[in-house]
Amino acid sequence: MSEELTSLYMEKATLVGCEVVALQDLKEAAEYIKGKAEGPLLVPESTLCTRYGMKSLLQDAGVTLHEGSFREAGHLPAGGVTFSNFAIGESGTIVLDSTPEEMRLATTIPEKYFVIVDPATIVADGLGAVEAMTALHSGHEPRYVAYISGPSRTADIERVLTIGAHGPREVHVLLIEGISSDFMEN
Amino acid sequence: MNDMSFKENVEKALANTRLSETLHTFGDGYLIAREKAFAGLDFQALREELGAIKDDVRVNRKALLAEFIKNAEAAGSTVFIAKDTKEANDYVANLARKKGAKTIAKSKSMVSEEAHFNKAMAAAGIESVETDLGEWILQLAGQRPSHLVMPAIHLVKEEVSALFSKDAGKTLAPEIKPLVDYSRKRLRDEYFRADIGLTGANFLVANTGGIGLVTNEGNARLCSTLPKVHVVFAGIHKLVRNMEDAIKITRLLPRNATAQLLTSYITWIRGAVPCDGGTKEQHIVLIDGGRSTLYESEACHDALRCIQCGACANVCPVYQTVGGHVFGSVYISAIGVILTAFYEGLEKAEPLVRACIGCRSCSAVCPVNIDLEAIILKLRHEVTEKYGMGTVKNVAFRAVMKNRNLFHTMIKAASRLQGPVTQKGSVPSERRVIRHLPMHFMEKDLTGWRDLPAIAPRSFRDLFKTLEQKVENPTCTVGFFVGCGGDFVYPEVGVKMVKVLNRLGVKVIFPQGQNCCGIPALYSGDTETGKDLARQSVKAFYNLDVDYILSICPTCTMGVRRDFAERLEDEAEWAEKAKVVGAKVIDASAFMENVLHASEKLKALNLHGGEAVTYHDSCHLKRGSGVFAEPRALLESTGYTIKEMTNSDRCCGFGGTYSFLSHPQISKQITADKVENIHNTGVKTVAVDCPGCMMMIGGALGKQDETVRCVHTMELLADAFGV
Repeated sequence: MSEELTSLYMEKATLVGCEVVALQDLKEAAEYIKGKAEGPLLVPESTLCTRYGMKSLLQDAGVTLHEGSFREAGHLPAGGVTFSNFAIGESGTIVLDSTPEEMRLATTIPEKYFVIVDPATIVADGLGAVEAMTALHSGHEPRYVAYISGPSRTADIERVLTIGAHGPREVHVLLIEGISSDFMEN
Repeated sequence: MNDMSFKENVEKALANTRLSETLHTFGDGYLIAREKAFAGLDFQALREELGAIKDDVRVNRKALLAEFIKNAEAAGSTVFIAKDTKEANDYVANLARKKGAKTIAKSKSMVSEEAHFNKAMAAAGIESVETDLGEWILQLAGQRPSHLVMPAIHLVKEEVSALFSKDAGKTLAPEIKPLVDYSRKRLRDEYFRADIGLTGANFLVANTGGIGLVTNEGNARLCSTLPKVHVVFAGIHKLVRNMEDAIKITRLLPRNATAQLLTSYITWIRGAVPCDGGTKEQHIVLIDGGRSTLYESEACHDALRCIQCGACANVCPVYQTVGGHVFGSVYISAIGVILTAFYEGLEKAEPLVRACIGCRSCSAVCPVNIDLEAIILKLRHEVTEKYGMGTVKNVAFRAVMKNRNLFHTMIKAASRLQGPVTQKGSVPSERRVIRHLPMHFMEKDLTGWRDLPAIAPRSFRDLFKTLEQKVENPTCTVGFFVGCGGDFVYPEVGVKMVKVLNRLGVKVIFPQGQNCCGIPALYSGDTETGKDLARQSVKAFYNLDVDYILSICPTCTMGVRRDFAERLEDEAEWAEKAKVVGAKVIDASAFMENVLHASEKLKALNLHGGEAVTYHDSCHLKRGSGVFAEPRALLESTGYTIKEMTNSDRCCGFGGTYSFLSHPQISKQITADKVENIHNTGVKTVAVDCPGCMMMIGGALGKQDETVRCVHTMELLADAFGV
């Protein structure tokens, strides 16, 4: 991990409209999320979510989680929370293997999206992502990988930049060290 | 579209000043934002790399397509190759029938526009809803996109609110944010309701079997997630070899399209991903639709490198003047001219091919290094072969220009005949101009808004015979290719160039056998005359013992250097000679600065050009020869101060016969922009390095403000020397 990459990422992610905060641990993350969205939140199962008991941490902080199929969470649920595989400094991007459908729903339909990034997974630029992206596509398994750089946007009416076209209106990036430096898990 | 309806469309567009203003504001802002987005990157190197990637894809396309299909199928996709857009539409309609599907939520896909997909689905009883905001607006309006990336750029919020109000059944205010919110909520229902989601694809990655989607709004993610069936519509030219290729394209595509470092979303989808407790059904429809034919066209296949960033429209003066509904079809602007010819036929493309002014802005901005202007030029030849070029040009190019003596005799005669309509230009330029033409019907297009240059009483070729060159111990001798503008309209420019060169210790040789560079004929599609003229000038210069042949017209430079050998490629001996001659041709300013290093020497002379000037970059000088710093250095070294105008390298509207014969109305508008930028500098002298620009800018200034003059850099240098 380099501090340079972290500050590059923070600068660029902020430029593309993300709220970026550096936090101590996941408990603090749960409190941060609670302060921004009461719920119900879409929190998909994932390796890291299970490893760190993220759902419990959020519930302990007082956040309501959506139970059951995310397709039943309404057309515009309050928020979604995921970890991430890695991030790209130059463009302020998070990369998320969202092959499981719930992972996709949690990042596309809610009004707000919270994503936890380990600074150890930040690569400098697009080319720095080639190796990991190629690895994610080894074999023949179906795969759905998302690059997300800030909130959903459009300039289709009079070229005026407007946030919240179809995807989340807000993207909160929570930088926490020591979560996982493995680009293949989230 | 025939010529008449095209002309009517042009006039309608010209009457819509709001559209032109919008496109100008957008174009200006784009240039600034784009420059910022590319800060620290070597655009030229990057685009050459992308061009090479796409060329490799072209060469190996069959193997790569097979590899893509194999990998996609291994991941659970169903792949269908449609030979044309009709087959593609039929495939989806059949699929919908089999699935009992009634509705399709679709995200932006240009090939679906090409297929008139929504119309085809409606005919099959299937409702297809656009979810990209711009596309949805157009669907409600019953219109087609006027820009590749910003499809509804021609509409204003009032028009959008009227459309949305009708959809909502209540009045919605013309405020952008609430209108976007309305579409957000309204279209959300469509994703949940739709039986099929359709997306395009920016990439087909051969070695993974996956697709890539570059988007900002997030609707493609919803279309590919919520419905149980995902259909991908993609042109076969979207193939790349691997993830690295695709990622390299993402470095340039958003930067060049919208000046973003990356779009909000890039989505990589491979195979049949999980969906609602089961597995998604994914169909990839690979559409040929004329692409294989285009791949086979040696002259035009570079067009399939296109990654659809839309930048060629953003910088195009014709697009900015008339918009994408006039200068385009399904695809608009420069790339649209070419794709229309191959996907919809030459007849449809004919007026578009002719409407290009040839300024090369598109070629300069293209992120995959397509020389769009050169390809359009080749298409113009096809168009002329098939549809002719009009009687005036026929007589002028074929009958007269090919015959050098007749051409020059006629010009002399014309010079005498124009007497009654010629006036000596008023101070300070004192050039001869034509203020009005006696033929009323031509007045509106030709002299109503600018003075036409008059033919000089004595041509340069005559003046040169009496020109005494005083050079003791010349350091070198150069040839001079004068060009028609320099020969017959502004012979004084050549004379002054010779005097300045003499002062710099250079002697000039002028072979009388030279003729027109042929570009006016070539740009009108008359390749035969172009060839003939090339042979004449090659013959005149080939045996000349010089290292350099100077030109005061960058279009001539380009014509001789770039086109002569290409024009004569079927005649080996001539082609060889043309190459030798072409390699020696150089613009006078470039020669002085880059060969003689004149500005260093001139500085030491402490000359006092004195006045402030503004410099207009001629299209073919900057984007044809890469010369722009040189004339500025020369002018500054002789004591002139340069006050830069906005968009100094935007076309002046001349375009040769474009402004005289084919599209004077469009030229007029483009010239008006240039004159305004000149006025805003407050400077009284415009320097250029091109007789064509002098005619256009000088002519328009003559009508609007006679206190501002337009002169050639060579004239200003001569003034500073006092020669």
